[in-house]
Amino acid sequence: MLSIVPTFAWLEGLAWTTALRESPFGYPLIETSHVACIVLFAGLVIMMDLRLVGLAFTNAPLAQIQRRLFPWQMATFVPSTATGILLFCVDPLRYYRNVFFLAKLVLLALAGLNALAFHLKTYRSEGWDEDPQVTATAWLAGAASLLLWSVTIVASRLIPNDWFK
Amino acid sequence: MKTKMFLVLLVVGAFCAVQPAHAHHAFAAQYDPNKPLTLNGTVTRMEWANPHGWIYMDTKEPGGKVKHWMIETAAPSQLARHGLKKADFVDGMTAVVKGYQGKADPGLANGRTLVLKDGRKFYIGSVGGPNDGAEPQ
Repeated sequence: MLSIVPTFAWLEGLAWTTALRESPFGYPLIETSHVACIVLFAGLVIMMDLRLVGLAFTNAPLAQIQRRLFPWQMATFVPSTATGILLFCVDPLRYYRNVFFLAKLVLLALAGLNALAFHLKTYRSEGWDEDPQVTATAWLAGAASLLLWSVTIVASRLIPNDWFK
Repeated sequence: MKTKMFLVLLVVGAFCAVQPAHAHHAFAAQYDPNKPLTLNGTVTRMEWANPHGWIYMDTKEPGGKVKHWMIETAAPSQLARHGLKKADFVDGMTAVVKGYQGKADPGLANGRTLVLKDGRKFYIGSVGGPNDGAEPQ
């Protein structure tokens, strides 16, 4: 089997990843930005999800809420991901075999697929927004999103604990 | 109304600022505060790294057997604030580290103080360790 370890070792040994790993301010700045962007992103996603499951903004049309929140969700998702990739590059050999990190990747993929399915199918299907009562598929997308993003955040928070090596 | 909101935010902000910057994982999750130890040995390598530094140290067991230690330190910014430099670590130098034993891994420790061969003493602990007086006042 082709091993990815040499690639990660090479990445970890690069001048810029080493500089970031040893930096007094660069790393904490990226780490803090990562968390701050995720907090903003999660908050924006949760508001949309709460509308989908019928707990918030129930008197406003769904499409309107979606239209207003979506650009902000993307504006916080992009820097969250970029800083996340940077943090991984700084210490790839530590993360790639961390159980919680791997769980986080799987959960991220699931949350992403759920969002994608909603945006490409439900959101574009006709009449999904007209009824004040949300369609079952839309409700399910919101509930799944709430659950998946919450668990993703919990898994992320556990990454620093190298309980299983 | 606005003034009230501002005051609330100010108070909340002040509390956040007073809270010491927390280490990214709890001391108690990995280290045993009831197992203090003093390690006297050879520093084979030092990883001056975020989010924690690591001192790799070899000590001699009573029987003469060499034991390898992996000692967690604070982040580079904190080590630097306490006067340490990356250049203070030379592979093969002797040093004394006081700290606490890891819970699961017998070769794991959390460093609190470091004494170099020239006698200089540094606090190397991360925030969140036990209140044992090692932390500079």
